[in-house]
Amino acid sequence: MKRTKNINLARMRKGRGVSFVLRPLAIGVAAALVGCSSDEEVKVVSSVEDCVDNTQLDEVQCEAAYQRALEEAERTGPKYANLSQCEAEFGNCRESSSGFWMPLMTGFMVASLLDNDRRHYSSGYYNPVYRYSASGSRYYDRLMTADGQVIGRYGKSSYTVDKRAMDPKPKVTKTVSRGGFGSVASAKSSWGGGRSSSGSRGWGG
Amino acid sequence: MVPEAGEADLVLRLPIGERPRWQERAQEFGFHFHTMYGEPYWDESAYYQFSLEQIEKHIEEPTEEIHQMCLEVVAKVLEDEELLRHFCIPEQHWDFVRSSWKNGDPSLYSRLDFAYCGQGPAKLYENNADTPTSLYETGFWQWLWLQDNVDRRVLPLQSDQFNSLQEKLVNRFRDLQFLTPGRELHFACCKDTEEDRGTVQYLQDCASEAGIANHFVFMEDIGCDADGFFTDMQDQVITWMFKLYPWEFMFREEFGSLLGTNNVRWLEPPWKAILSNKALLPMLWKLFPGHPNLLPSFFESELDKAADFPELVKKPIFSREGANISIVRAGDVQLLSDGPYGEEGYIYQAMHPLPKFGKSFTLVGSWLVDDLAAGISIREDENMVTQDMSRYLPHIIL
Repeated sequence: MKRTKNINLARMRKGRGVSFVLRPLAIGVAAALVGCSSDEEVKVVSSVEDCVDNTQLDEVQCEAAYQRALEEAERTGPKYANLSQCEAEFGNCRESSSGFWMPLMTGFMVASLLDNDRRHYSSGYYNPVYRYSASGSRYYDRLMTADGQVIGRYGKSSYTVDKRAMDPKPKVTKTVSRGGFGSVASAKSSWGGGRSSSGSRGWGG
Repeated sequence: MVPEAGEADLVLRLPIGERPRWQERAQEFGFHFHTMYGEPYWDESAYYQFSLEQIEKHIEEPTEEIHQMCLEVVAKVLEDEELLRHFCIPEQHWDFVRSSWKNGDPSLYSRLDFAYCGQGPAKLYENNADTPTSLYETGFWQWLWLQDNVDRRVLPLQSDQFNSLQEKLVNRFRDLQFLTPGRELHFACCKDTEEDRGTVQYLQDCASEAGIANHFVFMEDIGCDADGFFTDMQDQVITWMFKLYPWEFMFREEFGSLLGTNNVRWLEPPWKAILSNKALLPMLWKLFPGHPNLLPSFFESELDKAADFPELVKKPIFSREGANISIVRAGDVQLLSDGPYGEEGYIYQAMHPLPKFGKSFTLVGSWLVDDLAAGISIREDENMVTQDMSRYLPHIIL
């Protein structure tokens, strides 16, 4: 057979009339992440002591994991232009070194079962989690990662998460300028000599 | 001479009834550009029929072979400054392009365009290696067309199609994720083009199927932070990007100066700028003269070598969708298609008209995912130059 054997038609089906809706902005509370359901059990610990008591990591490893989680939080955590926006969603917030308002990390995730490789703190990612506290939201009192993936209700002894929840999150920064791409296309599309002058055809070929 | 359809061992163009209410099916699957400017783009009132031998010997094999030849051209051009100038790669980007090649930055896909009637070798027109479109129509929509027509017993059960595009794209995305660990993939194209957005959405669907976390941002909306990192509309730093936007445009734009400084992995990789360039064609002819799948091609500076050819096709170094093509007959230039390209110069290719099926000139696009031939798309035009108003027709193997 020279053709694709099977196509997941459900994924290819698009909502009626809905062309391309962008994901919501802000921190983009991810309703559902796509992909494989390879679940993993994790503990969410809120301090070095909590980590030592409740995970397979020892004190040195917990201390290192905590430091890494703090660095991750600084790098990837939700960022707000002002304090009130941040507090409205996460309650307790602080000002970051780069001048944003960011929620305080509620804790960080450690896998319940650690093989030797992952016990080594330098090879593991200890993702920070945040406690969402906007009253009236259906995410109220849920723990989530920096990209808005919900881990579960706050206060459980362990959580089952998609493995991807353990991946490092993308860095968030302050954009200082936009519009540096696209000028050549726009100059060429103002060329009006052909049938394609309405401009709805693209720049592929 | 233009071959006429209908003889033995030619590709066949056969009429077929349209699927009832296929437009509703298009809606269901989000195929929104099947009709453009009030004219049909997707046309299922007919289809093309190939034999397995035609596909495997005349298209699949040469496609993979030509791809390897093209890679040899890339290696050669990147180590030769004069050639880099011939290819109009701006000097400040030479290192960027070179290092992407040296690092072995992986590629995703490309499409080779051939003139092929079913007999004799397919002749390469050009390589769309950077921003090929008609991907969704090929990988998914014509696949579904065959499935539907076999299900309703209009086409025989044993009908096949040269089209493993979607399967290969998903597998390729899995490989790419392994080769690009710890990064999320941003997809981008220009605003106001439903066709490009649809193509990119399709690739997002394939990436999602492969388990890659992905995002979308319009090219015009890309930002940068104080350290020169590219950002999306959520201020998330872009570290891995698929852009349906030509490298030769990006090199010449404001943010072009940041390329290579901000640790982004690109799809297609920067070295594809050499392949999507029409200067590739005279280079191929120089390195592989007389190859059965190549048409003799020349740089402007070597036109003396082209004296034996009564008719030459003049193509801009950079162009999309068949714009700015002319025919040169004994020094006399006849413009075949107008357009906004050509300021970077031209190349010349020996005239080899597209085969004609009835009233239609027909072009075969042959897809590659990385270095594997992955299927074909058929485009028809009433004119000799296949342009953006051409129609897309499905095909089968029987």
